[in-house]
Amino acid sequence: MEFDVAYLAQQWPALLSGLWMTCKVTVLAVFFSLVIGLLGAAFRLFRVPVLAQLTLGYVEFIRNTPILVQLFFIFYGLPAVGFGISPFWSGVLCLSLWAGAYQVENVRGGLLTIEKGLREASFALNLNLNQYFRLVALPLAVRTSLPSMLNTSISLLKNSSYLQAIGLAELTFVAIDRIATDFRAVEMFAAIGVLYLGLVVLLSMAASVVEHRLKKPFRS
Amino acid sequence: MNVEAETGKAIDIRELGKWYDDFHVLKDISLSVSPGQKIVVCGPSGSGKSTLIRCINGLESFQQGSVNVGGVALDSPDAIHAVRRKVGMVFQHFHLFPHLTVLDNCLLAPVNAGRKSRADANELALDLLDRVGMIGKVHAYPAQLSGGQQQRVAIARALCMEPDIMLFDEPTSALDPEMVMEVLDTMVMLAKRGMTMICVTHEMGFAREVADRVVFMDQGQIVETGAPQRIFTAPESPRLQAFLRAIVH
Repeated sequence: MEFDVAYLAQQWPALLSGLWMTCKVTVLAVFFSLVIGLLGAAFRLFRVPVLAQLTLGYVEFIRNTPILVQLFFIFYGLPAVGFGISPFWSGVLCLSLWAGAYQVENVRGGLLTIEKGLREASFALNLNLNQYFRLVALPLAVRTSLPSMLNTSISLLKNSSYLQAIGLAELTFVAIDRIATDFRAVEMFAAIGVLYLGLVVLLSMAASVVEHRLKKPFRS
Repeated sequence: MNVEAETGKAIDIRELGKWYDDFHVLKDISLSVSPGQKIVVCGPSGSGKSTLIRCINGLESFQQGSVNVGGVALDSPDAIHAVRRKVGMVFQHFHLFPHLTVLDNCLLAPVNAGRKSRADANELALDLLDRVGMIGKVHAYPAQLSGGQQQRVAIARALCMEPDIMLFDEPTSALDPEMVMEVLDTMVMLAKRGMTMICVTHEMGFAREVADRVVFMDQGQIVETGAPQRIFTAPESPRLQAFLRAIVH
């Protein structure tokens, strides 16, 4: 069996729509996961009663259960208790919660590297804890955490392929769907492999632009 | 127990006691400073000098006695904020905000915690950076500056909050020898302008030049206090005599 390039060209519109869906889910989930990460890390740093403990439990739950179980719980489990949501939003929710747990740890790790003296200097200047967090700690923590935040975002992108299991027409779903009728597994999986690779490269490039800008103060 | 502050004192510390768990760091410290006075605190490491001045702006809590700054007793979070508005602090390791330029380091607190307009804060910051000789570096980042330059920026940053009192916690101990002078000159300038200052330092030349009083601490206690001339030429306690022998070579 030879590699049929013409077949791929013919399937391009379907792949493109899958690619678009993957991008939409990924961008939204990366955004929400970062929000979760910043909030969760703040809860932990401030030792906010209840919320800090909930964050800890959430992070442990997500890190110690398979993502597919989390996805099925959201898509099949939540409707049973009256919270049915579409495959698209189930996917966004699942990936956001999954990556959010790792982002909490990424941001927290960044916060832990900040020297204690900066907090004291901030307090001595009459900044309060909230201002210290927002104006000093977070901007510095994000710089340190950027590589691990990118790492988590790349994993999120790749894990979006799980969403085919709940029938979301993203890239992997499209490939499997086509293979079921056309039996062109080699072409299809090669094609989506290349497309995923391209997305990861784009994501990394975007992150390195951000990193370059954020690291400017630290070049002497 | 609420000890009435002696009127007109910039700082009034009474019978201050502090413990870290079982470790008694400050033992029955009493110290009062009039407006415009300059106090140098010296003593061996671990004697509690830094802890003492950190009690003045609420960076450290204490278990016994009272600390009164400009008539405000440090006994509540609100009081601590009120005191921090009047008290600036300079640290051994500068602690400039590394992600901000020199100018932004000086603007962060006045704009966010000092209820000052950006324009006013900017004008004051440029004026102060000029006075500490850093006007040529306003757009540089801390990492691009020498230690001495960073410390001068840190002094300007503290002054931007227009404090009545400045605390210095070993401001020259982390500097290369040739940079000590530029920082001390800045501090002398500040002293001559009438700032109330408490400096933890072992720079005896500085103490002789500006200090009204030198306080010698050891093991959490004030062992001896007096005018610099008297302290350096006629130390009374054996502990201070030994200390001076060790630091004057």
